[in-house]
Amino acid sequence: MNNLLIAGGVGVAFGWALECAGLGDPPKLAGQFYLRDFTVLKVMLSAMLTAMLGVFWGGRLGMFNPAAFYVPETHLLPQLVGGLVFGLGFVLSGLCPGTSCVALASGRIEGAATMLGLFTGLLLVGLAFPSIEPFYRSTPQGPLTLQRLTGLPFGVMVALVTVVALSVLAWISKREAAR
Amino acid sequence: MRALRSYADPHVAGVCLGLVLLACFALTGQGLGASGAFASVVSGVVGAVSPETAVNSAYFRSYLQDGSPWTAWLVVEIIGVLIGAATSAALAGRIRLTFARSTRPSAARLFAGVSGGILMGIGAALARGCTSGLALSGGAMLSVGAWVFMVALFLAGFLSAPLIRRLWP
Amino acid sequence: MRLVRRLGISALALGLVAPFAGSPSRTQQRGLDLDSIARAIDEGSDHVSARQLAEWIRDRRPGLRVIDVRSPAEFHDGAIPTAENVPIDQLARSRFAPDQTIVLYSQEGAHAGQAWVMLRSLGVVHAVFVPGGLADWREEVLSPLLPSNGSPAERAWIADLSHYFGGSPRIGGEQEGELAGAAQNGSRLRRRGC
Repeated sequence: MNNLLIAGGVGVAFGWALECAGLGDPPKLAGQFYLRDFTVLKVMLSAMLTAMLGVFWGGRLGMFNPAAFYVPETHLLPQLVGGLVFGLGFVLSGLCPGTSCVALASGRIEGAATMLGLFTGLLLVGLAFPSIEPFYRSTPQGPLTLQRLTGLPFGVMVALVTVVALSVLAWISKREAAR
Repeated sequence: MRALRSYADPHVAGVCLGLVLLACFALTGQGLGASGAFASVVSGVVGAVSPETAVNSAYFRSYLQDGSPWTAWLVVEIIGVLIGAATSAALAGRIRLTFARSTRPSAARLFAGVSGGILMGIGAALARGCTSGLALSGGAMLSVGAWVFMVALFLAGFLSAPLIRRLWP
Repeated sequence: MRLVRRLGISALALGLVAPFAGSPSRTQQRGLDLDSIARAIDEGSDHVSARQLAEWIRDRRPGLRVIDVRSPAEFHDGAIPTAENVPIDQLARSRFAPDQTIVLYSQEGAHAGQAWVMLRSLGVVHAVFVPGGLADWREEVLSPLLPSNGSPAERAWIADLSHYFGGSPRIGGEQEGELAGAAQNGSRLRRRGC
């Protein structure tokens, strides 16, 4: 029960932050792919950076143990193909699963349309699963992280990702200022 | 009518989002997500309508074997998302019902929305996550699969955008 | 915007200092503490059954790392789900954090047992191995023989576990059809995916 209360709380905060950033607005999200509106990248990179640094430093300061945190399993091929297909869908609808809920909550019928599509797509995969299961389970790498892949220490990886992410954000700022 | 408050700075909203994600990790050991909630609901419906179909697909089975799919962690979380977003929008005067003729999106846009959703559903199922669960939460944990997914996502998006320029003038 | 600038600079600072914050998981070669090794072997804390591992994987036990110490070719042929392939010659170079649960396995268990001792010499004292290896996994988890004198709950639990990994239990020597009515397993914190 406690767990579900946390789920609800996290969800409310999640939805609130997404809405505040304007990510319930399909033209805004699609605008990212026309380099017109960089909100998507700004939010994603800022969020990822914050969480990553928080996880690292929280761990170093003994507040929690990041080694016990869930790292998704890597399945190279399905995730690559899934990403490509997902990206195409993202540009078409201007929303993703999370933001489709934000759109719906703001009264946008596009949110409902995307959600309908999502349910359908997932249903199709579920129904076709016996045939695609071998592909789905192919190229497993376990919970592989960038630091384990490269052999670099966690701290060095964090530094690298920070520098790259901040560089992208700085480039975006510069580009927007030039307009 | 209340004045429309402008959106928050995306960097600041992103940092807030990152802190929520961090809190989620600290409290539950796992990140947040979205597509899993949809998958849970679909599996629940399939399980109720045609239990045989649910049993034959390992995909649906995986969402039905850990208790009720209707009260799965992610489903409760996504309900929270709806509430949080609605509250934020209402307080900022940003709720705009787009059923009215003046603001209703075109049929083409709605069709693209459904098609896009179908593709995203397929993509998220294959990748075991979406932008919230895999890219964001997995990315923060430096998961290789998450980064592969993210790069592929943006690549496909940027490459296909020019082809559907008419959709987003 | 001033706030954004400050956030950016803080992030940069935190990121750049990260590599110097010390790492808890460096492994170095030390001697063999034969006493503690003998004790672990004696009391059985050096290994876990394939079934226990299956339970840990299904429940998404935090910090679990399943290590396949066979060659990459054997690994690609078939491995335990969520396993990482770290061939035995690369074991010394790997990093293992102290709070992770490391489970080693090989084809029949012998190499995994040797890897266990190797890790001990590197100061990794929290690893265990699966004594029967992949063979045990296939026999105990994928196609387990349901004990004829076991309780229905126990049989259902074993069958459930087998189904989770795509296997099917055997009843008295033959593969089963469909076992209805899975036992409820209480509310453990499970993997919930994304």
